[in-house]
Amino acid sequence: MPANEILAIGMFVSFIALVFTGFPVAWLLGGLAIVFSALAIVLEADFQLATGVDWNYTSLTVERIWNVMENWVMVALPMFILMGLLLDRSGIANQLMHSFARLFGSLRGGLAITVTVIGLLLAATTGIIGASVVLLALLGLPAMLQQNYDKSLAAGTVCAVGTLGILIPPSIMLVLMADRMSMSVGDLFLGAVFPGALLGGLYIGYLLLVGWLQPHRAPASPAEPFDWAAIRALFWAILPPGFLILAVLGSIFFGLASPTEAAGVGAGGALLLAVIKKQMNRAVMAEVLQETTRTTAYIFAVLLGATAFSLVLRGLGGDELIEGALLSLPFEPTGIIVAILVATFLLGFFLDWIELTLIVLPLVAPVVVNLGFDPVWFTILFAVCLQTSFLTPPVGFAIFYLKGVAPEGIGVTTIYRGVVPFIVLQVIGMLIIFNWQAIVTWLPTQAYG
Amino acid sequence: MSQDYLPHTPWSQRIDQTAARIGRVLSLIWLLLLAVIVLNVSMRYAFNQGRIELEELQWHLYSVGFLLGLGYAYQADAHIRVDVLHERMAHRTKAWIELYGIVLLLIPFIALVLIYSIPFVTTSFAAAEVSGSPGGLPMRWLIKSALPLGFALLLLTVTARLLRVWHFLFFNDPGSSHASQ
Repeated sequence: MPANEILAIGMFVSFIALVFTGFPVAWLLGGLAIVFSALAIVLEADFQLATGVDWNYTSLTVERIWNVMENWVMVALPMFILMGLLLDRSGIANQLMHSFARLFGSLRGGLAITVTVIGLLLAATTGIIGASVVLLALLGLPAMLQQNYDKSLAAGTVCAVGTLGILIPPSIMLVLMADRMSMSVGDLFLGAVFPGALLGGLYIGYLLLVGWLQPHRAPASPAEPFDWAAIRALFWAILPPGFLILAVLGSIFFGLASPTEAAGVGAGGALLLAVIKKQMNRAVMAEVLQETTRTTAYIFAVLLGATAFSLVLRGLGGDELIEGALLSLPFEPTGIIVAILVATFLLGFFLDWIELTLIVLPLVAPVVVNLGFDPVWFTILFAVCLQTSFLTPPVGFAIFYLKGVAPEGIGVTTIYRGVVPFIVLQVIGMLIIFNWQAIVTWLPTQAYG
Repeated sequence: MSQDYLPHTPWSQRIDQTAARIGRVLSLIWLLLLAVIVLNVSMRYAFNQGRIELEELQWHLYSVGFLLGLGYAYQADAHIRVDVLHERMAHRTKAWIELYGIVLLLIPFIALVLIYSIPFVTTSFAAAEVSGSPGGLPMRWLIKSALPLGFALLLLTVTARLLRVWHFLFFNDPGSSHASQ
């Protein structure tokens, strides 16, 4: 095996091994790029082994960072983060929970469904799994437990819905994926609409079924009379955030605004909402803005590190290596896709979507596209696969975040038991998306009419 | 913060406080960016004309925001780590990982970016480079210099962390390990 390929493999293996030291991922990626460039240069200069990488090559990192800087589409990212945080602080989630529970609480499983619907509506808030799981746990978990819900069912619902947030547009993960895949953000957003709705629908169906078959696990609240006031309250609670999110997606759908503009105006709308609801003051504003800086900075740090890492890996022939390995698998093209998804699923145990989107997706995507698969379809499938991975024991991210904020009496095993049915639902969802590509590809073809 | 076990030194404290102050001021940039986007969209609809300079201003602001934010996020220990094993490690182990990581990985990366981004800025300055699009913003070197500036700030906060790690590992008597605030 040529020296450069050994280095490429060494680079990838070092990354996977060293990531467990807990050193920040961004700097590990950037640092490995430098270390392996140095190794390559030494091998070439002192051992006459051709590696194809020198400092001039690695210094292209600066050009690549500049490409990130002048990328107007990526401006959407901090704006979506800001919009999410503002919606989070605007008290809307609380109001939604209250009015939904009033209407659906008397339905068996109704509270869990409420949590699901809120999770779907406020998915914009999130994109960051930790944030959405924590939000839903603080909001929904006490209410469900108070109504004597089965603990594992309540915990499983919160975990699953919390991870679904990263998929539902407007999602910052999809913005980043579109950038790496050189696709339009709008296409990816639209492609995710039906798969997201499908998964949400599966969750709700499951919760209704539990309420029907095992009433003791999802009991109804003591009957509150059904009245018009409750419906009106719900309407007024849903209207502002619902309108905001539909406006953001709609303006992208109809080509009225670019994702960047939609994100900026959406953030403006969320700010307005928070002000109207009297949830905004200087301290809250400062906190939200600083949180935006920190979140944006850590995402872009990984982006910069991954840029250097991928550059050097490509220079060492890592791309051809992966392509060769994938194509030499003894499978049909669909088998190769399945193999990629399984690998992604396993990597998702340890790595966040940011790293996987930035490193693994660009490596495998060209192979998939060359095999003749639709890139939007594959990307969405990849996204659903990641989301499932974050939900899966033993090391799902969502489980750990929930464990961190869950009240006494909800242990890890309770959460494990709770997420199992949702993992089954995810697999069903993935099979459907896998077999009926149109679920993803139909909507984007209808847009911009 | 997971770095609380590390004692501060006078200099690390000074650096971190400065970085935090810069971060607080810097964060206002997102409000400004929001305003610029809303203004540009309204102008596009009201007067039927989008302004190139406003569009460019948007990515100028965003670049400054995320680049200068790197150091601020570092000071706040916001950069993502894989926690599975890290959480259970002893403080000394964590400190050694931090030391080796900073010296062997992080500082070389910062060095690469700084070494190659400074000529990147000076070339742009010497050529009096301006935006390629008609009506775009002048003085391209100014926005390009956000790159070395951001990494210099990052290096500063990294130095502060290094001081703390050094102090913890080599000058720490067990009694004062909680000296940090």
